[in-house]
Amino acid sequence: MLFYSYFKTLVGKEVTVELKNDLAISGTLHSVDQYLNIKLHNTRVINEQKYPHMLSVRNCFIRGSVVRYVQLPPGSVDVEILHDATRREARGGG
Amino acid sequence: MLKQGAGLAEEDATVKEPLDLIRLSLDERIYVKLRGERELRGKLHAYDQHLNMILGEVEETITTVEIDDETYEEIIKTNKRAIPYLFVRGDGVILVSPPLRS
Amino acid sequence: MASTDGAPEAGSAKTPADFLKSIKGKPVVVKLNSGVDYRGILACLDGYMNIAMEQTEEYVNGQLKNKYGDAFIRGNNVLYISTVKS
Repeated sequence: MLFYSYFKTLVGKEVTVELKNDLAISGTLHSVDQYLNIKLHNTRVINEQKYPHMLSVRNCFIRGSVVRYVQLPPGSVDVEILHDATRREARGGG
Repeated sequence: MLKQGAGLAEEDATVKEPLDLIRLSLDERIYVKLRGERELRGKLHAYDQHLNMILGEVEETITTVEIDDETYEEIIKTNKRAIPYLFVRGDGVILVSPPLRS
Repeated sequence: MASTDGAPEAGSAKTPADFLKSIKGKPVVVKLNSGVDYRGILACLDGYMNIAMEQTEEYVNGQLKNKYGDAFIRGNNVLYISTVKS
């Protein structure tokens, strides 16, 4: 639940989601669920020339399992809180 | 869940299960080998039992192999990029190596 | 015969679980689905076949490509774990 909780704190922030098929989409994180499925608003595809069919997409739902990376806004990463939450999660048994 | 924790118990420095190796690498720079000829180097800030991770000051290396049209020689190219903070989904992880400890 | 108390000897392991228990601390080869081999000392493993290894050497197409002091291998990539003569 650590990353679900963390992503909930990012709602409203700008993130870039990179998919396993190399498509990268930036947008405002609208919502996230326990599977780390993600809804983005005001989306922009990073390499629009390569993916012209995505030009008109403004909102999208991304299935968690197709995500490779999420680039996070530096200002919203609190390292201390993440460390503590990770240690708690590790102790609680994975 | 994401509350600032009160006093943590002293860290157990023994490796009883494989994930202990990752636990002992928190806040250290690690090497991660991923599917698709990708490698990451970065500081480990968070992880869970799936090997989902948050890394900081990340350098990603992507290796591609091209075949020269004429000589059929393999040309190995590496592309690098820097990313300040990155969430990595665990299902793409092959190997994690902590920094060398004395 | 595998003893009922501690870890059984590698040669007399009866079940896969007994085998895995018996090879901790021994030199092993771990082959991944990708064909890559890792040779090193098996430190420990868990129910997902996640593996911790020491003094690990990575072989791609039989050639040594990398060395790691410690290595964690995510279990879903594992094809087999084999003991080797040290």
